Amino acid sequence: MAIIDGCDGECQPRVGVYALTSCYGCQLKLATVQKIMEIANAVSFESFYMLSSASKHPADVDVAFVEGSVSTEKDLEELYEIRKHSRILVALGACSVNGGVQSWAEGEMTHEELHAKVYGTGKIGMKGLQATPISKHVEVDYYLPGCPPEEDEIMYFISAFLFGTFPEPKDYPVCSECRLAGNPCILIERGEPCLGPVTTAGCKARCITFNVPCIGCRGPVPHDTAWFDSLAMTFKNKGISKDQVRERFRIFGAHNPNLEPMLKKIYGGTD
Amino acid sequence: MRYVKISKQNTYEFLERLKKIGTLYAPHKISEKFFDFCEVDDVKDVMFEYQRTIRPPRRFFYPEREVLFTFDTRKVELYENLPSDKKQILFGVHSCDIVALRTMDSKFIDDQPDPYYKSRRENGIVIGLSCLPDEYCFCNVRRVEFVDAGFDLFFHELPDGFLVRVGTVVGHKLVDPYEGELFEEVCPDDTENMSKFEEKRTSMFTTQGNWDNLRYFMELRLNHPMYIRESEKCLGCGNCTLTCPSCKCYDVQDIPSIDGRTGERIRFWDSCQFRSHGLVAGDHNFRETKQDRFHNRYQCKNSYCSATTTSFCVGCGRCTYFCPADIQFKKNLMEIAGYKGGYS
Ligand code: SF4
Ligand code: SF4
Ligand code: SF4
Ligand code: SF4
Ligand code: SF4
Repeated sequence: MAIIDGCDGECQPRVGVYALTSCYGCQLKLATVQKIMEIANAVSFESFYMLSSASKHPADVDVAFVEGSVSTEKDLEELYEIRKHSRILVALGACSVNGGVQSWAEGEMTHEELHAKVYGTGKIGMKGLQATPISKHVEVDYYLPGCPPEEDEIMYFISAFLFGTFPEPKDYPVCSECRLAGNPCILIERGEPCLGPVTTAGCKARCITFNVPCIGCRGPVPHDTAWFDSLAMTFKNKGISKDQVRERFRIFGAHNPNLEPMLKKIYGGTD
Repeated sequence: MRYVKISKQNTYEFLERLKKIGTLYAPHKISEKFFDFCEVDDVKDVMFEYQRTIRPPRRFFYPEREVLFTFDTRKVELYENLPSDKKQILFGVHSCDIVALRTMDSKFIDDQPDPYYKSRRENGIVIGLSCLPDEYCFCNVRRVEFVDAGFDLFFHELPDGFLVRVGTVVGHKLVDPYEGELFEEVCPDDTENMSKFEEKRTSMFTTQGNWDNLRYFMELRLNHPMYIRESEKCLGCGNCTLTCPSCKCYDVQDIPSIDGRTGERIRFWDSCQFRSHGLVAGDHNFRETKQDRFHNRYQCKNSYCSATTTSFCVGCGRCTYFCPADIQFKKNLMEIAGYKGGYS
């Protein structure tokens, strides 16, 4: 996995930053980290349109960061191309990792129904698809979640690659960081449906620190350890309805295969 | 032991003077239901009556996250980052938490000496404070409701101030300069009042007797159905261990920097409720399921007491009070051991 193995700082790893269907917020975050100049000196950006119009698409790179979900056929073709030309592929941000907010219709409406709901009979200039995370289509080496991703994690990922090692993913929930930050728990205190217990840590409980419950933008904790059932039970005991719980879980977690079965287990088949 | 008395008014003055010795932390109300140890700015904000803080006092000696050393891979050198010798003064520590700190000492000083912890502990001053229990407390059945060591001073509430027990040489030195000014002699009425307070306190615990044999029932009933039922509710969020005053687990990670050459080694609190806690090379996991992880905490807190004769659990009630899934630790332990009397 070592990228600069043996070149002792002489050679620069080639990096590509690409966007599929997204708001470009992840790229913007990457382009505006405090140490962007140091990154630009350490790596060679072969493709990063937000920084340089001399970008190629796709380019042969050591590491590709891909933001956005696959929402059109063009996205899909581009993604295949990017994968072919990249040694390491990192899913960057909520859309790429989990499908993002645009995945809300997953499992509820077909793409045709969704299209009709949004555009009526209007035509759009490309063939749309139901939004999906990139891992549905290509092999993803690392996941860097967040909406947008956190600066320290971006730095950690790039630095780890420069070291010739790999970034260690987080597999524990936002609650842990919330507690260490010394926040009062708003789920306990105010009975608000905070998704901290099922959401991947890394944001240092950003929203709760601002007194707002987590909506799960970093996506469900990996390795099947997001306990939607136990949290739904907790919410149910606080009088929150299945619909409310479901809607909230689905904002950033609609593609998680455990979500529906776990909800059903607690609330039963009906609403 | 030496005993002195201080009035409530003089206590505020004493706190002011403590601020000159080092950084003073004391319980503050941080929201409707929660308290935390915060740095004291205005001494009038210090809470003398509180049940438990959301973060345990161990964090002052063993921070949530610390840089152990920085390194340079090209020079093949590392630079230790030992704590500074600044004084930290903790005011208002309850007896359960004081015993929990002593169990930390048993691991981080006696068992596997940890220079980071040891140095902060040596530069720390611990001032205890009496308390009245709520329904979550069970320090009495763990026999830690009254401490006789582990504090420099211990403040016992009186109607008109505090009766102060002096526990160490450091404690003497805190009292000596103000003897006659802030501190006065204890009179028989004060002793009478302290005795009344203790009597009232004893009667308030919802569990009575002792749980000395709990450890054995925990070991004998490893397959108790409680574990299945309760771990189903568990969110695996780690709040129970992160708020616990006697949890010790940490993880260590190297954070490289963008120069591709230097970096830092950090350690941060871990929890056995997380999947990676039991994960080892080859993708093997000692505690593969949520139930395994849930089970582990119950065993660790109650029957893994190799270095101390008391359990690691000191009955502070945090793991129940701060559990978002409302899992009742005390009640579940009673179910396993078959304790009935006195529970309400
Ligand atoms: S506020 Fe939310 S993230 Fe924080 S501890 Fe409570 S449930 Fe977890
Ligand atoms: S608290 Fe939740 S919603 Fe807010 S940034 Fe963190 S993961 Fe995203
Ligand atoms: S605090 Fe409660 S829900 Fe969270 S891990 Fe502990 S027992 Fe489980
Ligand atoms: S194993 Fe679990 S319960 Fe025991 S000290 Fe570690 S985190 Fe706490
Ligand atoms: S196990 Fe629970 S009650 Fe016991 S010391 Fe830890 S937080 Fe307190």
